[in-house]
Amino acid sequence: MKAGIKLFSVLALTLGLGVALSQSPGPTGKLVIAQTQDPHSWDPIDTFLLSWGMVGSNIFDGLVDRGPDLKIKPGLAERWVFLKNNSVIRFTLRKGVKFQNGEDFDASAVKFTFDRLLGDEGAKGPQQANYTAIKDVKVVSKYIVEFNMSRPDPVIITKLAGYGAKIIPPKYYKEVGDEKFNNLPVGTGPFRPTEYVKDDHLTLEAFTGYWGGSPKVKTITYRFIPEASTRVAELQAGRADIVQGVPVSLASVVKGIGDAELVPVGTTTVTELRFNTSMKPMDDVRVRRAMIYAVDRDTIIKTILQGYGKPIASFQGEISWGFDPKLKPLPYDPAKAKALLAEAKVPSGTEVEIDFTDTDVQFREVAQGIAGYLQAVGLKVNLKTFEQNTYFSDIIPKNKTGHMYNFGWGGWTLDFDNTAYLLYHKDEYWNPVFSDPKVEALLEKERGTYNQKARQKSMQELARYLQEIAIEMPLYQGVNLWGMNKRVSGWVVPPDDRNRLVNVSVK
Amino acid sequence: MLVVTLLVAFAVRLSGDPVVALFQGASAPNKTDLERIRKALGVDRPFLVQYTEFATGLLTGNLGHSFRNGQPVSELIREKIPGTLVLAASSLFISIALSVPLAISSAVRKGSWVDRLVRLFSLIGLSFPNFWLALMLILIFGVGLRWLPPSGFEDWRSVIMPATTLGLILTATNVRLLRAALLEVLSTQYITVARSKGLPQRVVLYKHALRNAAIPAVTFIGLQFGGLIGGVVIVEQVFAWPGLGSLALNAISQRDYPVLQGTVAVLALVVVAVNLLIDFSYGLIDPRINVS
Repeated sequence: MKAGIKLFSVLALTLGLGVALSQSPGPTGKLVIAQTQDPHSWDPIDTFLLSWGMVGSNIFDGLVDRGPDLKIKPGLAERWVFLKNNSVIRFTLRKGVKFQNGEDFDASAVKFTFDRLLGDEGAKGPQQANYTAIKDVKVVSKYIVEFNMSRPDPVIITKLAGYGAKIIPPKYYKEVGDEKFNNLPVGTGPFRPTEYVKDDHLTLEAFTGYWGGSPKVKTITYRFIPEASTRVAELQAGRADIVQGVPVSLASVVKGIGDAELVPVGTTTVTELRFNTSMKPMDDVRVRRAMIYAVDRDTIIKTILQGYGKPIASFQGEISWGFDPKLKPLPYDPAKAKALLAEAKVPSGTEVEIDFTDTDVQFREVAQGIAGYLQAVGLKVNLKTFEQNTYFSDIIPKNKTGHMYNFGWGGWTLDFDNTAYLLYHKDEYWNPVFSDPKVEALLEKERGTYNQKARQKSMQELARYLQEIAIEMPLYQGVNLWGMNKRVSGWVVPPDDRNRLVNVSVK
Repeated sequence: MLVVTLLVAFAVRLSGDPVVALFQGASAPNKTDLERIRKALGVDRPFLVQYTEFATGLLTGNLGHSFRNGQPVSELIREKIPGTLVLAASSLFISIALSVPLAISSAVRKGSWVDRLVRLFSLIGLSFPNFWLALMLILIFGVGLRWLPPSGFEDWRSVIMPATTLGLILTATNVRLLRAALLEVLSTQYITVARSKGLPQRVVLYKHALRNAAIPAVTFIGLQFGGLIGGVVIVEQVFAWPGLGSLALNAISQRDYPVLQGTVAVLALVVVAVNLLIDFSYGLIDPRINVS
C-alpha cells in the first residue's frame, strides 16, 4: 500500500514536471473582465450577489466545489461521510494547501470560518440563513473536522459549495480586521486580490502556489461598468477581454465585432408570471389555466428573446434536481382559453393587471407581448411597474400585487427544494397567500429524508401537481450572453456566473 | 442641511427594505433571518432614534457604517469625492471656456448668421438627453477612432468625454444666459457713452460690458452646480466613473441609509459652499458690492 502511494507520488511528480517543462515559465499576460456590478465587499458572508461569485470563485475555495458542469466534487475536503444517523458529517481535509499569504490550511481554519459565519459577524449578513442546520463544527484532528447538525438538511453538501462556506484564513483575518478583509481578502484560490478601487476596478495576481496547479494568466482586472452599451463599447475597443451581461438588443453588435464572439450559456435562472390566487377571478383554477393556454410562450422566446431562452413546464430548469423531462408545458391554445374563461363566467373586457420592476427593459417587452395575447382572448390588461426594492420588500411579500406579477428565481442550489419550499410553502416570505394541503405534505416528505431518489420523486410529483392547479405561468429558462475577445482561450463559460479563470490564458 | 438630510432620511424609509436588498441574488429570506439582520443593522428602532443618531454623528464627523460592507461612510465618501469634483470642475471649465466667447460673438453681432448658428446649437444642446450624447461620444471617440478610453477613470484622457458631455449641455444654457445679459448691458447708456468717447470695441466689451454681465451669469453658474450634481449621476453611470453620484444611486436601490444620508449631507454642504464662494466673488467682480 505504502509502495503504491510512493509510486503514485513519483508518477505525479514526473507528470507535474513534464507539464511544467512543456509550458512557459509561470503565468503571463493580463485579462480584463467587464462586469455589471461591484458588490462592495469581497467577504464571502456579506452577499448573495452573482457579481461576488464572478470574482470570489477565483479567490476562495470551499470544502466542496461546484465547477462549470454544476456537479459537486471535492474541494478543500477530499472526502466526507455521514455518521450517527446523519446527525454528524465528517470531512477529511486536503493536506499541503496554503492560503495566498502563506498561512497553512487545516481544521482550525474550517472551524474559524464556520464559527464566524454562524456567530455575531455572520448575523449581520444574509449568508448565515443558509447554514442554520449546522449546530457547530468540531476539530477532530489537524485534517479532520466534524459538522454536528441540529436538524436534517438534504442539500447541505451543495450549500457547502456556496459563497458563505468559503474557507478564510484565521490568522490573516484577525491580523487585518474585518474592514480590510472586505477590501483585500485572502483565500486558498488561484488568484489573490492586490488592488481595489470601489466602483472602478479590482486587480488579482496569480498565486503560483495554488493547490490545483498554477494559473496561466498573471493579472486579472475586473472593471465594474453598470451600463451595458459601455461594456460592449469596451469590447469593441479591444480593451475588455470578457464582458458579462450582453443584453439581447446588443447581441448582433457583439456578433459583428471582428476579433470577438458572442457566447450564450443556458442559466439556472427561470422567469414566470406568478398568479395572485387571493384575487378574483384568479382564485378559479379554470381562469388560471386559461391564462396559460392564451399565451404563446414559444413565440415570445423566438421573437422578443431572439431565441435566447428555453420553454419551461415548471418553475425550474433542466439542471434542477426535481426536473421531470416528461412534464411538458401547457400548449398554446387560445380556443381552449376562451372556452375555459366562458365556463368560469369571466365576462369579456375583464381587467387584469401584470406587475414588474421598472428597470427590467426586457421583461417590459415580454409583458407587452403577454398583454397582447391576453387581449386576444377578451381580457383587458393593465401593465404596472414598481421600483425594484419596493417591489421585492413591500409589494410581493405584503400581497399588494395585481392579478399576476413577474418573478425570477436563480435556484442556486440547483435543487427544486430551495425554490419550492420558499415559494409554495405557506406563510413564507415570497408566498403571502397560497396554501394547499397536498403541497405541504409533499414538501414535508421531501425535506425529511436524505434519500435523494425519493426526494426527486416527491419533487417531480409536486411540479406536476403545481402545473395541474396552475399556480403560475412558467415562461422561460434564461440564457446569459457573454462577449469574448478571441485572444482568450481555455475559458469555460459558467451557467452560474462563477467564472473560474485558473485555466484561462491570453495570447 | 438638517432639513435636507431629514427629508432624505425620511423619504428613503417610506418604501423598500435594506435587509431584502442584502438578500438580492439567489436566495430568499425567512422572517427570523430578516428580524435578525434588522436588529444587527439597527433599522428595527424608531425613525427618530435612527435620525438623531445620524444627526449627532454628523456634528462629530461620524457618518456611520455602510450596511453593505461595514465600511465607514466618511471613508467611502472620501474615496469618491475626487472623482466627482474633477468631473464637475472640468465640465464647468469647458462650459465657461466655450460659452464666454460664443456669447460675446453672438451678442456683438446680434441677428447675424453667427448669432443664429450659436442659438441653433444651444437649442440642440438643450434638447439633448445627456446619456445619448455620452453614448455617441463613446461610439465615435472610444470605439470608432479609439482616441480615448470609453470608460473608467485612468488618466487625464478619461476625463475628456464625461466632462465634455456635461460641459456641452451646460454650455447650451450658459450661452443663452450670458448672451441675454450682454445684450442688456450693451444697450445701456454708459456703453453708448463709452463708445461715443471713441473707446475701441475691445475695451468697451471686455472692460465695461463683460464685467457687468458677469454678475447674473456667475449667480446662475452657482445655482447650476446643484443641477450639475444631478447630471453627474447619469454621466457617472454611463462612463463607469467612480464618484458620489453612483454611490448615492446605489445606496438608494440598496436602501443603504447611512451611505445615502452621508452622501446627501456632503453634497448639500458642497452646494452651500459653492454658493457662498460665489457670493464672495461678487465683491471681486463689482467693487460696489461690499461683502462685509
